[in-house]
Amino acid sequence: MDKNLQKRVKYQISLIIAGIFLYISAHAQTVNITGKITSSDDGQPIPGVSIKIKGTGLGTVSSIDGSYNIAAEPGKVLVFNFLGYSPREITIKQAGAINVTLNSTSSNLNEVVVIGYAKAPRKDLTGSISSISGASLRQTQPTTFDQALQGKVAGVVVQQVSGQPGGGVSIQIRGVSSITGSNAPLYVIDGIVIPPVGDPGNGSNPLNAINPSEIESVDVLKDASATAIYGSQATNGVVVVTTKRGKAGPPQISYDFYTGYQEIIKRLPTVDLPQFATFINARAVAWGFDARPEFANPQYLGPGTDWQKELFRKAPMMNHTLTINGGDARTQYLLSTSYFNQDGIALGSNFKRYSLRLNLDNKTTDWLKIGTSLQLAHINENVNSTSSSVISTALSITPDVPVLNGDGSFGGVTDPNGWVQPVANPVALAKIVKDQKRRNQIFGNVYAEIQLTKDLSLRNELSGNFDFNTEDRFSPTYSFGKGTPSPNFGSSAAGQNFYIVIRNFLTYNHNFKKFHIDALAGHESQENTFENVSGARRNFPSNNVQAINAGDASTATNSGDNSQSNPTGGSARESWFGRINFSWDDRYLLTGNIRDDGSSNFPTNNRWGTTYSGGFAWKINNEAFLKGVKSINELKLRLGYGLTNNQGIPGNTYVTQLASVTNGLAGTAQFQNNLSNQSVKWEKTDYYNAGIDASFWNGRLGFSLDVYDRETKDLLLQVPLPAYSGTVAGWGPGSMQAPYANVGSLTNKGFDFQINSTNITSKNFSWKTAFTISRNNNKVTYLGAGGTDANLSQKSYVINDIIEKTVVGQPVGEFYGYVFDGIFAKPSDLLNHARPADANGNPYPVSPAGGGIWYGDRMFKDLNGDGIIDSRDQTFLGSPIPKFQYGINNTFNYKNFDLNIFFSGSYGNKVFNQMAIQQNDPQNHTTYFTSVLDYAKLAMVDPAGSSSDVNNVYVTNPNTTIVGVRNDNTNSNNRPNSLMIEDGSFLRCKNITLGYRFSESLLSKIAVKSVRIYANVSNAFIITKYKGMDPEIGSWNPLQAGWDSGYYPQPRVFTIGANITLR
Amino acid sequence: MFMKSIHKIIITLLCAAAVAGCKKSFLDRPSNSQISSLNFYKTTSDLRLATASLYGGAQWFQWNTAAMIPIGDVLSGTGSFQYSNDIVQVFTRTITAQNGLVTNGWVGLYNVIGQCNGVINAIQTQADPSISAADKNAAIAEAKFVRAVAYYHLAIYWGAVPIIEDNSKLIKDPLLPRNIVSDVYKFVAKDLTFAAQNLPKTDEKGRVTTWSAQGMLGKVYLTMAGVGKSGSRDQALLDSAKKYAGNVCKNSNLNLLPSYYDLFKAQNNDNPESLFALQWAAGVGYGNGNAMQLYFAPSPDILPQKIGGWQALQPTYDLYRMYAAKDTVRRKATIMLNGDFYPELNAAGGGYKATGTGLKKHIIGNDKDNNSPTMDGWSSPEHNAILRLADVYLVYAEAILGNNSTTSDGDALTYFNKVRARAGVDIVTAITPASLRTERRVELAFEGQYWIDLVRYSYYDPSNAVQFLNDQDATHGRISFTYDPTTKKATRDTTATPITLPATVNSFTLPVPSSEVTTDPKLAQPPVPYY
Repeated sequence: MDKNLQKRVKYQISLIIAGIFLYISAHAQTVNITGKITSSDDGQPIPGVSIKIKGTGLGTVSSIDGSYNIAAEPGKVLVFNFLGYSPREITIKQAGAINVTLNSTSSNLNEVVVIGYAKAPRKDLTGSISSISGASLRQTQPTTFDQALQGKVAGVVVQQVSGQPGGGVSIQIRGVSSITGSNAPLYVIDGIVIPPVGDPGNGSNPLNAINPSEIESVDVLKDASATAIYGSQATNGVVVVTTKRGKAGPPQISYDFYTGYQEIIKRLPTVDLPQFATFINARAVAWGFDARPEFANPQYLGPGTDWQKELFRKAPMMNHTLTINGGDARTQYLLSTSYFNQDGIALGSNFKRYSLRLNLDNKTTDWLKIGTSLQLAHINENVNSTSSSVISTALSITPDVPVLNGDGSFGGVTDPNGWVQPVANPVALAKIVKDQKRRNQIFGNVYAEIQLTKDLSLRNELSGNFDFNTEDRFSPTYSFGKGTPSPNFGSSAAGQNFYIVIRNFLTYNHNFKKFHIDALAGHESQENTFENVSGARRNFPSNNVQAINAGDASTATNSGDNSQSNPTGGSARESWFGRINFSWDDRYLLTGNIRDDGSSNFPTNNRWGTTYSGGFAWKINNEAFLKGVKSINELKLRLGYGLTNNQGIPGNTYVTQLASVTNGLAGTAQFQNNLSNQSVKWEKTDYYNAGIDASFWNGRLGFSLDVYDRETKDLLLQVPLPAYSGTVAGWGPGSMQAPYANVGSLTNKGFDFQINSTNITSKNFSWKTAFTISRNNNKVTYLGAGGTDANLSQKSYVINDIIEKTVVGQPVGEFYGYVFDGIFAKPSDLLNHARPADANGNPYPVSPAGGGIWYGDRMFKDLNGDGIIDSRDQTFLGSPIPKFQYGINNTFNYKNFDLNIFFSGSYGNKVFNQMAIQQNDPQNHTTYFTSVLDYAKLAMVDPAGSSSDVNNVYVTNPNTTIVGVRNDNTNSNNRPNSLMIEDGSFLRCKNITLGYRFSESLLSKIAVKSVRIYANVSNAFIITKYKGMDPEIGSWNPLQAGWDSGYYPQPRVFTIGANITLR
Repeated sequence: MFMKSIHKIIITLLCAAAVAGCKKSFLDRPSNSQISSLNFYKTTSDLRLATASLYGGAQWFQWNTAAMIPIGDVLSGTGSFQYSNDIVQVFTRTITAQNGLVTNGWVGLYNVIGQCNGVINAIQTQADPSISAADKNAAIAEAKFVRAVAYYHLAIYWGAVPIIEDNSKLIKDPLLPRNIVSDVYKFVAKDLTFAAQNLPKTDEKGRVTTWSAQGMLGKVYLTMAGVGKSGSRDQALLDSAKKYAGNVCKNSNLNLLPSYYDLFKAQNNDNPESLFALQWAAGVGYGNGNAMQLYFAPSPDILPQKIGGWQALQPTYDLYRMYAAKDTVRRKATIMLNGDFYPELNAAGGGYKATGTGLKKHIIGNDKDNNSPTMDGWSSPEHNAILRLADVYLVYAEAILGNNSTTSDGDALTYFNKVRARAGVDIVTAITPASLRTERRVELAFEGQYWIDLVRYSYYDPSNAVQFLNDQDATHGRISFTYDPTTKKATRDTTATPITLPATVNSFTLPVPSSEVTTDPKLAQPPVPYY
């Protein structure tokens, strides 16, 4: 040991001894300070405020009446800290009373944000994180909190997938990076990771167990420097939900209530009976068959059935939430219970949620803190309208079918003289079929936090999501005319999913003179296991006895799977992680993250992936040259870079899975379920982010701007290969599951901008505006071998052709097809315009006979100018990805009134109106939109002349887009084309709320602390050119985004409600 | 203070234990309900389980339900249906690249090929060394036989198509060109030759044998003999057809089932006449079974749960005209006429009396008729034959007839007349190309064969084959008919005659599905050789 070092060690030891001495001797020279802490809002005492002597680590906590008592040296600084309030520092001059009033946080400057395994003040962030308060979230009366994020967070694209009560939304943070359908961000609720969602649009959204009124805040972690600590699951961002917790103080009881109803915003223009009959008559003349004698005189027919009117209803909804919170300095609690009931606007849908939450924090000893977040939920959903496809059926069944026959039985399609498409009666299906899903969810965590030393603590956390679900289905015997009859059948399914995370991490933080460090290191293991079983039978003796046992045992079928036996199935992940934050002089902040994840989804040799990131922030407002500028409260520059990984594929895709199947040979046969890819590996994304946060004039104006560049390599996805591969990405009878592979690269570049301003503030009136806008530019840069031909294509089964194609140089999932160019209406069209050609390149002849092209067929642009229409004349028809998404929120307060108006919008995205294709096709055998009546009508120049002479025929309505009524489709009129792609831009008035807060003087007489009543309209109106029900179309599969295939539309909702807090 | 530290240490150690508790195998999560290819192919019986799946089930569903009869019989003018877009196009010979039935045929056949390739490659690379070479080759031969059947149909329907032997190569390089049709047939013949050499002479019921492979090989050589020819067929290939088909006729010890009518009953599934039949099971649910009844039956009354008959097919007038007056057994087993009584259909309900013309073949009644409680519309237990001995007899006769305009060859007459005699019609003393075509049409109606026959015809005699199609139109042969049971008179349906432009030689090639061409633009380019 050299002398210098010896010296230094000695010096350090003496320093430590001196420190201990100081620590002990501190008492000797102190004075006693007492006081009371109150809130500036209401003058009420605040219990539980932390009072610390700056630079010593000594401190106390205010008691229930807000009073405190501390001994400290004069000249020291007392720091008063309480969540939701601005901290205050007061220098001690002498012994005596120091009463303190704390101001509640109004600007987001003092906000505390969840950064993953910890919280940090917003002003100290280096990463890109947006936050929304629970109150702001609840403005739209969402059924589930994810629905409420729309337009509130810049950079986050929220699209409703289903308006079914409790139905899910798709959320993309800063564009599509992976194409595997795992673009959803990671959801973390009170530290509990919500297992990835398969297809929540189908009425099983796991996020719907959370009652929005229990939410304190939602933080959205966007860039890699913010998300890297969550590792591979977080490559598409993280949505962190924090529920309310108890506050020390006397019990506070609050009751929230609302009730209202929902209605459909827009019905589609289907034909009535006289229109339908007129059309069928005209078509029968042209076809030479399919005439229906009962339609001989359409003018005498009644209006027929308006199926949408029969199916959609004004549907009630209501919610009650009762919350009690309180506690003392040692223990804080929050107990909340709620009941929510919503009927869907379509018959056969309902959502009920009963939930109970207990959040508890206890400071057991001075070194141990324990607590729990626990939620029990029971959900009872009727998903029949979705599972029986009643909405699309209502848009298929014709108006000649009565809902009920004269004898009270359900009506059905019928045509004694011809053939009808077997369409069921949707109202009957909605009423008589049962599909009830029930779910019990226990969802929570327990933690223990051990203060090992002053600076070092260890937190142990066990969290889990235990989901027990059943589904009970019964379909009685029915027969509706010539529609598909059905014998009765019943099925019953039960399953459980367990998701358990054990997490241990050390946190260290220390203040040096100008230098602050905090660090985190930990380990986490996650396990996902499941068990399920289902059984079904047919031939029940009565439709009233619906338990499985009552069915015919010889028809029984069953299935089941589990991951509980040994070896296990399911999935597992193990991770090591660490983070270090430095800050110097409250001016320069530096963050580094690293995380190593092992995933069971990859073959042994590719199992581990490392995620890392770094962030830097410069708080310019703390520099000397800006210190004096009082108008600038915050000015911060952030830079971040990270490498993130994605493992978002199902397990076991790297081996061929052999499923046991039965066929006519003896025993079971082994069917290959998937095309395996043994070299599948982690997807990697390089993520660059730069941002500015600024706040002026005490928060009256604030903005935040981020620009980013995400470059994804080894893009992991289920490759939609040509069908000759024998595979399909999705499901097709007898096709193998397409392989999961690392196929290419893409980039997402864009910006998010958020601005908040207080436009007017006076004694009685204030007006605040918040505006968010985001843009993401997505581009595929590489798609493997195949050069310019390489593509990922998505087929629409309605037109049996590709409608969305992803190629290098374009965004993911562009619409693709032919360009509509009018209809063949005059002789020159047929003689001069390019016509479709057969496989040998010979154009189909001009003729009214089968196999010919004739008047009323659609013309398509000959883009390559070779004189014929073939697959080479297709082009890109626009992208389903919005160019911009934005939200505008205005809040007005006048005396005791508050008014909130919130718009959200999307610009520049296209929608594939798949719903309108068949209803506008004269060859169709289901119902029609009224637009079909404008089918191309042929006339002859010389009525005595030939009807097959090109020069003697013309179309009387040449500007129509609807084809003529020939029973031939050689032209492939419904080939993918620009007519099917519509502008999906919209501006939606998402919410209008008017509230009134009763004055406190009035309430004080009846022992009520506060009462607010309000009236609310959600989805008040929508401005759009889109012709379908709703242009807002979410999808979990970016290769198939923007397809309107008859989603459950979002309703307009009227509610009135009250928030009551008892004293 | 000391106690505190102890607590802290204990808790810390517990946490450390929790971390250490993560074993290395923690991240191994194989499925519990499915076998992985890594631990399969260990024994001969594993190989048998792997090949068993190739005989029926999901991968055969799309082709069997949507393409076999629509393309094989409706397109060839044997069945009629004029509503509902996709099948109207098939009926009127105006098929476009968006046609769903044609797509299903394409997808379905390639699904079969994908499964076969997987089995072949897995056995070649992973089979346990303890399995004998003969057993390995026999299993590979089964898969190659099935693969050849699928490629044969692809070549018949589309001509040039991509040949794929290893689907996993598509992950890296997904875009293939089409291969010239003669190479597709060459590939088929190679697979079948391997199968003929390595399959056993007998096997358990339902499995293919060397006779299946040789019969199919005869049929393939007969087809290949005409490829690219004009007027006459390649004699060497005709001789090969004759050799293999003749070998099956003479040396297999297999015989026709005595009753033609009983041939199509589920009770007689996999009878000795059946050389390759799809092994369907009942109660397997949508997408896994034989659903022909559900679509094509004339009435839901005779079906399980009385569901189905969604696209009730009618026989054409043209088919009806092919039946000689004595040919009642085959007629009644194939198509229903108004007034026909079928006691075995809905037997519990007193049988079924037809009220119009409709399809009979493949219509086997309900769950009770077949003593099959789990049978439903999606899962008829009928094992419909893709190749049966009568077909091989006629192939043999045609191979002998070859390029001649008539033959009285003894072998040809023997086997040709065996088919006729079983049907109860007069035996003949000479065979002509026309009489052979008619015999095949009547014998094999609604078994998906007639389109294959017409395509084979179009290879070496395109102008007459085209004329043949156009004559069907000219004589309104493609239209359905009504039948009066009292006068026993059939009347052609006159309400709506489909007017379709004349056929050309291109009418014998289906368009490749548009979705495939958009996904793989190379399919629109001229085909390239495979060999």
